[in-house]
Amino acid sequence: MKVCLVCSHGGHLTEMLYLMEAFEEHDVFFITYDSLRTRSLEYKKYLLKNIGTNPIKMLISFFKMVKIFLKEKPKIVISTGSEIAIPAFYVAKLLRIKTIFIESWCRVKSPSGTGKIVYHVSDLFLVQWPQLLNRYGKKAKYVGAVI
Amino acid sequence: MIFVTVGMHYQGFERLIKKMDEIAEKIEEKVIMQIGCTKYQPENAEFFDFVDADEKILDLFKQARVIVSHAGAGTLLVALSFGKPIIVVPRLKKFGEHVDDQQLELADVLSEAGKVIAVYDVEKLEEAFKNVDKLAFVNVEKDKKLISFLKECLRRMEK
Repeated sequence: MKVCLVCSHGGHLTEMLYLMEAFEEHDVFFITYDSLRTRSLEYKKYLLKNIGTNPIKMLISFFKMVKIFLKEKPKIVISTGSEIAIPAFYVAKLLRIKTIFIESWCRVKSPSGTGKIVYHVSDLFLVQWPQLLNRYGKKAKYVGAVI
Repeated sequence: MIFVTVGMHYQGFERLIKKMDEIAEKIEEKVIMQIGCTKYQPENAEFFDFVDADEKILDLFKQARVIVSHAGAGTLLVALSFGKPIIVVPRLKKFGEHVDDQQLELADVLSEAGKVIAVYDVEKLEEAFKNVDKLAFVNVEKDKKLISFLKECLRRMEK
């Protein structure tokens, strides 16, 4: 099955790399930010410019996601954050691709901005600390953490 | 060797790098710093901004006696697997080190669990080094529950 992994290039990528064993039976590709580190990432990948809080870059990345998803046709999109998940999840919703969002391990008791935005369109929404559950709706689940 | 690391965040962490440079001048032990986007350049320590391969950072974690880190998830996730003393200094919004004070959450929860020493005021950093040997640090193992859960989800979807 084709699985698309979406994350920014720092800690969110480290968390995703810790979870790679979960995807070993599948055909994976990454959508992440371009950096020294991700250029040497040994998986199939699409490198985007860092969106940060720039609304224009956010808009451009929506179109980039459409292009990538239409070409790759993933069955599922999985993200550990951060804001790069926003265009990915909304475009996935539009194209009827399933999504799993995993809130970062650093979110112990307060939700991330990205988490709050993609919660509504995620098919599965996981947090890594049980104390964060009551800050999200019923959909949120806790099953464990990266460590 | 003391390895100081501030991760990939786009803002600098002057407060930590400056203080560690001051400490490096006073001690015999070698200090190596990954300074990220910090503008201040240490005078008493070896330093670099970023690496092109994760292995280089892993190698420095391996060599280090003590790790001094910002409270970023990625850095701590990896650092904890080495079973070495970790001093954590969370980036704070008021010093222009991050967009919010969210690093406090991880610093708090890990120091309460006795897995790291959290230092909130860099003036207390030097003192923290005196306490590193008093705590017994164990390497934290990977949690397999999340991985097995995800594996099962994907299997179900494939059918």
